[in-house]
Amino acid sequence: MLIELKDVNKTYNNGQPLHVLKGINLGIDSGEFVSIMGASGSGKSTLLNIIGILDNYDTGEYYIDGRLIKNLTEKQAADYRNRMIGFIFQSFNLISFKTAVENVELPLFYQGVSRHKRHEMAMQFLDRLGLADWAGHYPNEMSGGQKQRVAIARALITQPKIILADEPTGALDSKTSEEVMQLLGQLNKEDGVTIIVVTHESGVANCTDKIVHIKDGIIGNIEDNREHRASVFGTSTIMK
Amino acid sequence: MKDLFTEIWESVRRNKLRTCLTGFAVSWGIFMLIVLLGAGNGLMNSFMQGRGSFATNSVSVGGGWTSKPYDGLKAGRRIRLDDTDVALTGSDTFADHVDKVSATVGTNATVSYGRKYFSGYIDGQYPAAQEMSKIEMRYGRFLNDKDIRDSRKVVVMPESTAERLLDNGQGAESLLGKYVKVGSLAFRVVGISKSDRMRNDNNLYAPFTTVKTVYGKGQEVGSISFTTKGLDTEAANDAFEKQYKAAINLHHRAAPDDERAVWVWNRAHQNVQMNQGRKILSTALWIIGLFTLLGGIVGVSNIMLITVKERTHEFGIRKAIGASPWDITKLIISESISITAFFGYIGMFLGMLTCMLLDKTLGQSTMSVMDEQIAMLVNPGVGLDVAIEATLVLIIAGTLAGFFPARKAASVRPIEALRAE
Repeated sequence: MLIELKDVNKTYNNGQPLHVLKGINLGIDSGEFVSIMGASGSGKSTLLNIIGILDNYDTGEYYIDGRLIKNLTEKQAADYRNRMIGFIFQSFNLISFKTAVENVELPLFYQGVSRHKRHEMAMQFLDRLGLADWAGHYPNEMSGGQKQRVAIARALITQPKIILADEPTGALDSKTSEEVMQLLGQLNKEDGVTIIVVTHESGVANCTDKIVHIKDGIIGNIEDNREHRASVFGTSTIMK
Repeated sequence: MKDLFTEIWESVRRNKLRTCLTGFAVSWGIFMLIVLLGAGNGLMNSFMQGRGSFATNSVSVGGGWTSKPYDGLKAGRRIRLDDTDVALTGSDTFADHVDKVSATVGTNATVSYGRKYFSGYIDGQYPAAQEMSKIEMRYGRFLNDKDIRDSRKVVVMPESTAERLLDNGQGAESLLGKYVKVGSLAFRVVGISKSDRMRNDNNLYAPFTTVKTVYGKGQEVGSISFTTKGLDTEAANDAFEKQYKAAINLHHRAAPDDERAVWVWNRAHQNVQMNQGRKILSTALWIIGLFTLLGGIVGVSNIMLITVKERTHEFGIRKAIGASPWDITKLIISESISITAFFGYIGMFLGMLTCMLLDKTLGQSTMSVMDEQIAMLVNPGVGLDVAIEATLVLIIAGTLAGFFPARKAASVRPIEALRAE
């Protein structure tokens, strides 16, 4: 198991205590392409944040590659995020005053990779995502699809074991959404990267091989979707 | 390192006006500090020049009256210094602390040249007196060893004294090589010294030996002067004086602890006080300067807080992709130090420029004190030491200004930072 959660609980104490995750048990193998589906407020984003070591949990155990992720210092957490996890966000979260290639380089900068080496690698990844010509452009000069591809390049550059995507198509139109999901599927098949997508869109979930349904902080059924027949709107399109 | 500066430049570039306004306060603070210290130095230099008539390590000794009965003799006895005291001062007993010894003996005499005359005082001196009393020569030379050895009848007089013997419009140098009458004897003028209003200008300098033989003073000596060495603290000076007085007193059969039998005027004490005054002045100026700078530092700190607030989301992104808290802290503190140092150096440069300007203007203007022209500021400006200290102050100030904002930035949890807009 690459990712293993055992009875993970999380309560938010902002005024009224809110029990968001009520004993999550989940295992994800290396190389899987999984989506976590649920309505808003179901706890899916919280779950993703815990998996991504952006947030901590109250009780239970969480292992990545057999390593217990609990009570880490900020420095350790930063190091794990840097080396093991790549993030893709709904709002892209690119740094606006840095060019595409500088954004892609940034994770390597925090690994202490030399300027020349990381620039070379960033250009490779941008090229692979068809954005080599856009390397010197700032995020506000790009379309949503391009920005998300830059973000994907940034997530991939450290060659992490896990890619976490939080509503990766949330800010994109249906055509671009489809392209991004295809790209993620391709990365999963060709590079064997484990990808976890959080979404509330069934069309997006249908692109993945396994759908984890979460409702009110509890995991419901886990659907095997290797046939990609889960979408009520048909198999070949992401309906918006 | 280059990456860090690129980051700082990217951040500063986005807020040029804000950064410049804040930076101005820092520049102003350092500017004030440099100008204050520079002007203070100029003032002290001017003061030192005004009072610099004696070597700071010189001691003068003269005879007094005993104040205690001792060895069968009653109090109130006159003590006259003599040759033995001079020999004692220069002996091995005090060799550790006494450098050059000079003695004077003097007498009143009428000095005349042609029709002009005045009542003066012939001061029998040793060549060492020139250094001790800082006698500056205008023309000719001061007394030398040959004058002493041969008891030559030569005399050195201040410029103003020479002028009194000459008709109006005649330069003092015209008296050089001429013979003036001192009492009933002719003395050759070998040197004209610079007038000094701090000293009596009726004084003429003649060789010690000459005055002693000619005026039949026998063993008697007017006063003894000597320079000291190796007395760095006030305590050391006090101890030496006590020991010295005891030795001289004993020779005159006065109580060793009699404070009044001989008087000792040690200029080192004045010097210590002077240095203390200088230190107090410079400390006061530093404090004023630092408080002015403090305003600038608070400004930088404030701006850094706003920057941190604005960039919370960005820091969230950085943390999500692997920036450690220290990476974020480093970014803020180095930005703060860069702003402080950059604008600080502008202020320092302008401050030094202003000091140079002060030197060209106020430094050239003089005021008249006791007939003597005294420059208001002499060499205003600060040395390399102050520049280095100010640099240290800037770095410390920049670190302090950035510290709290940086800690705030580093302590925000990534998940909260990402939510911030």
